[in-house]
Amino acid sequence: MLNDLQLNSILEDFDIAYWKINLFSKDIVWSNHFNILVGQPEIEEDRFEFFINHILHPDYRYDFRIHFEKLIKENEPFSFEIKLKLENGKYRWFECKNQKTRDTEFRETAVLLFVNIHQTKRDQYTIEENFFYYRETAEMTSTGGWYVDTVNKNIYWDDVSLKIVECPRDFQPAYKDRMKFYAKEHHNRMRNAFDKCENFGIPFKLELKMVSFQHREFWVRLTGKPVYNDEQEVVGIRGVLQNIDENKNNELNLQNSLDIIATQNSRLFNFAHIVSHHLRSHSSNLSLIVELLRESKTDRDKLDLLANVEDVSDNLDSAISRLNDIVSIQTSLKKEPVTIKFETALEVVLASISSLINRENAKIVAEFQDLKEIRYIPEYLESILLNLITNAIRYKQPGRKPVIFIQTYVENDKEYLEVSDNGMGIDLDEYGEKMFGMYKTFHPSNPEAKGIGLFITKNQVEALGGTISVSSTLNIGTTFKIKF
Amino acid sequence: MGQKVELACIIDDDKIYVNLVKKIIEIKKLSENLLIYKNGKEALDYFKDIMENVTDEDKLPDIIFLDLNMPVMDGWEFLNEFIKIKNSLNKKITLYVVSSSIDPRDLERAKSFNLVTDYLIKPIELKKFEKIFEKTAA
Repeated sequence: MLNDLQLNSILEDFDIAYWKINLFSKDIVWSNHFNILVGQPEIEEDRFEFFINHILHPDYRYDFRIHFEKLIKENEPFSFEIKLKLENGKYRWFECKNQKTRDTEFRETAVLLFVNIHQTKRDQYTIEENFFYYRETAEMTSTGGWYVDTVNKNIYWDDVSLKIVECPRDFQPAYKDRMKFYAKEHHNRMRNAFDKCENFGIPFKLELKMVSFQHREFWVRLTGKPVYNDEQEVVGIRGVLQNIDENKNNELNLQNSLDIIATQNSRLFNFAHIVSHHLRSHSSNLSLIVELLRESKTDRDKLDLLANVEDVSDNLDSAISRLNDIVSIQTSLKKEPVTIKFETALEVVLASISSLINRENAKIVAEFQDLKEIRYIPEYLESILLNLITNAIRYKQPGRKPVIFIQTYVENDKEYLEVSDNGMGIDLDEYGEKMFGMYKTFHPSNPEAKGIGLFITKNQVEALGGTISVSSTLNIGTTFKIKF
Repeated sequence: MGQKVELACIIDDDKIYVNLVKKIIEIKKLSENLLIYKNGKEALDYFKDIMENVTDEDKLPDIIFLDLNMPVMDGWEFLNEFIKIKNSLNKKITLYVVSSSIDPRDLERAKSFNLVTDYLIKPIELKKFEKIFEKTAA
């Protein structure tokens, strides 16, 4: 058997200190190690009271006293985690427990052990703390963890993941159903990423749409990294799943607003450019005339030049009124759209150009059965019809009676208006790109062409979120198609 | 004034402007003859015609004033086409882009063409006109 000395040395090695308490005299003897731990104090008062007042952390004073009493009086087991102030003035964690005596009949001494558990306690705190931060972060950022066992074909989602996908807490996703949690349009991306990770160990980070347990679509950010076994084979994929629906939607909305602003800005820029260009061309003519007036010597020359001033003035006037047409596209946007019948809008337009129709003997056929009315700004619809109809009549095939066919219909939930004619047609290869540009005319022989109608029509259609397209065959006719 | 430009060419759809320039050239006697086209296509057709009859060298202008914004074929399209045939025209032709556009993008784009001598912003003063013609004639 070990003697006391050997025993002491072993206890010291394990950093275990102890008290020996004489149950009759209540005398307490500290082990050498205990004495060293607490800095070998010189004690004049009662040893127990000294311990309570100077070594034990104040939080434990009351409990320790009670337990100690019970241990001494009733031999009640004592096990207690406490903090002791050591010789360096710092508190450290100790587990304090009594040595169990086999002999319950007769007791003379009790032994109280002090085991240093500071490191364990600290680790435990760190783990608890980390776990707390992990939980909080996961909850706050709505980030869940997941693992796919690629060998046994199993899927594991943690609580947060289940919550994100709106599944019941006890839900166990089946491997074969895994794709149904992703939006169809992203199935390929998802499969590719998983295959690459499973076969080649390539990690992934994706933003895609998932479909929740409640069939709601939402955006997530999904990361995945390979898990290897000892043979360095991929046996699984694990990663995190973050709900970014709010962010993504904000991002998409923002992008959308940005696109609208960018288009409006470039339209404004073009407009400013057009204004400056078209007003400048007249003002520069005026200043040329003035200069020439100064140089001219005969009255006849001067009178000639004055005639030019009149022309400039007329041109300037019509340029300004055309620019005004464009400006009014933007201002009438503030008007609320109302439900209008195509029939009514067409009647208004036809009445306003009845003399042109009669003169050219044009025939206008309208079919509005499939789509009788639309929510739109009436002035726009009238202006669009007016431009397309007058265009069709203006560019009729010489010698052919102009026929204009107007039709509305619904296709894939979208509303359409088509205006077709049997006119001279447009060479789209040559003019297609410029067709809706400002001040472009395609039929140089036509003196009426001002080249602004289609520009305005396109602007009106687009201002309300629609598109306009054209198809045409030379000498056969042209069809304009508007998607509202 | 010493030498005179033989043949000048204006490509512009603004009738008033063209009339005024015509007057300036007459009054100041800047050029013997004048070609006027109201868009790029008309001018290009003329040049292509000459190409096919090599003997008509005299009919090529010494100087071209090209507008940018024109119907049918604008100044840019004309430049792109003119580059292709310029080398087969056996004459040194000075080309000025003349526009009322003060958009710096137009200016830069015009200067990116080697065959463009300068970009002139309308209105061009009489004195400037005279200088340009003198320089070309010399």
